[in-house]
Amino acid sequence: MFKKKNRLKRKEALTAYGFVLPNFIGLTIFVFVPMVYAFYVSLHQWNALSPKVFVGFDNYVQMAKDKEWWHSVYNTFIFTIIYVPLLFGLSLFFAVLIHQLKSRYESLARTLFLLPFAITSVISATIWMFLYDPRNGFINQVLKFFGGHSQQFLGSTNQALISIIVVIIWINLGYNMMIFLASIKEIPTDYYEAARIDGATGWKAFRFITFPLLRGTSIFILVVTTIGSFQVFDQIMVMTKGGPANATEVSVLYIYKQAFEFLNMGYASALAVVLFIIIFVLSLTQLKLYTRKD
Amino acid sequence: MRQRWLLTVFVIFCGILMVLPIYFLFVSAFKEPNDVFRLSINFSHLTLDNFKAVLETNILRAIWNSFFVSSVVTIVALLFHSMSGYALARLNFPGKNFIFGWMISTLMVPFTVIMIPLYMVTKNFGMANSYLGLIVPMIFNAYGIFLFRQFYNEFPKELEEAAYMEGLSIAGTFFRIVLPLSKPMIIPLTIGFFTANWNNYLWPLIINQKEDLWVVQVALANIVGGGYETSWSIVLAAALLCALPTFALFFLVQRHLVEGVKMTGIK
Repeated sequence: MFKKKNRLKRKEALTAYGFVLPNFIGLTIFVFVPMVYAFYVSLHQWNALSPKVFVGFDNYVQMAKDKEWWHSVYNTFIFTIIYVPLLFGLSLFFAVLIHQLKSRYESLARTLFLLPFAITSVISATIWMFLYDPRNGFINQVLKFFGGHSQQFLGSTNQALISIIVVIIWINLGYNMMIFLASIKEIPTDYYEAARIDGATGWKAFRFITFPLLRGTSIFILVVTTIGSFQVFDQIMVMTKGGPANATEVSVLYIYKQAFEFLNMGYASALAVVLFIIIFVLSLTQLKLYTRKD
Repeated sequence: MRQRWLLTVFVIFCGILMVLPIYFLFVSAFKEPNDVFRLSINFSHLTLDNFKAVLETNILRAIWNSFFVSSVVTIVALLFHSMSGYALARLNFPGKNFIFGWMISTLMVPFTVIMIPLYMVTKNFGMANSYLGLIVPMIFNAYGIFLFRQFYNEFPKELEEAAYMEGLSIAGTFFRIVLPLSKPMIIPLTIGFFTANWNNYLWPLIINQKEDLWVVQVALANIVGGGYETSWSIVLAAALLCALPTFALFFLVQRHLVEGVKMTGIK
């Protein structure tokens, strides 16, 4: 009896290892090893073809003096500071509004807002390049119609980054709004009825019931969008390639250029390691801040 | 009541603004090159010539490549992730917590941070410039494992016990009984994995230089940056062609998209 139980246990463990093994090996080779390898390569000078030359922390010293790198970090921060609150605020705003609509209009509004999510990043970049066209683009036509002046948008160092932010908010707004909407629907209506008896409706109901109860969802969205904004690449690569005059060159794009255009694999890896540390510290602080008990 | 109506009008108006760029994509792709910047539609001058020009590029091949790569990644990933999630939720084996922690810790590593060494590793396996290079590294992520584990933690035990009584092995129980009942998790993850891979731009850009293997994102980016700017109608026809498969998918799965947001987004 005891022996049989043991054999069953061993069989269970063997099956389990078989089930876990493909992912365990895959994650090790394609995530864990590259992570360690990134740090190893960052200590070398290497153009991907000739043998690596060990240079210690030289790449990190070089980085400290690399103005273009710090400019790209600055651009990334500016991007994040504008993009994250704007996306968060708009998603929440429209989720609350749409929740008030009658169900027929609610599903129509949901579809309309979510539709941009059905296209890819490169398609979104293509459409908006067309709309932003400095000479004849529709946006400039509308501006001129209302008596404004033609704008350069992607061709202007002042407007390029914000023009790209608009595109990325446009494509992500619907999805984030849906997440908010889903959790708003889980709030029991009794809460609002109780509040109404106490005279709290409209803004007060939002401030004291809806918003506090969306805390978990809010943290989720803030952390995910912040991490995402530090990795922004697609639309920028297609729309401006970092220009004009590096005005839209973000960190990932700079790393990409160093690695795959200039073949400075060692240096680019050092940049990637630092980017990892920035993202890691940032998301950790965010989590600490938001989950603190007050 | 009046307030309700104002609100409805405002929200729907904003919704229409959101869809407007997609409307312009649709109509401009059928316009003659000289009409493309005209806001109104000249119905007697709509044309299919733009699409004829687009079909001379390799865009259809790229759409097929994207479809193939995304499908294979999704199917293999679902299989591997559900197996691991099940083992971690239901089976007992030494080292279980360690393996789970190891897998979850990879969630903290953003793709952009490891793209350079990942390129090296993949190239060293001889998978650069091949379907394998586009597919294999994208299969493994802890996200799916984590969600499947969560799902199987709440799965009723009675079914498995009944299957064991019938003499089914553990693996047999999983593949014949448990997996077919995992649809609530499989559907949102299928949508999620497929669209994530269809949308992937950076990895295919890095790992593949062969034009035959361009995925749709890379091919379209090349058309946009390829000196066609003077003929926007052709560029937009290409973009519309690339958008059609995901639009079809969107209307097919919209209902599940809502459920998927609930399942994968918050829990």
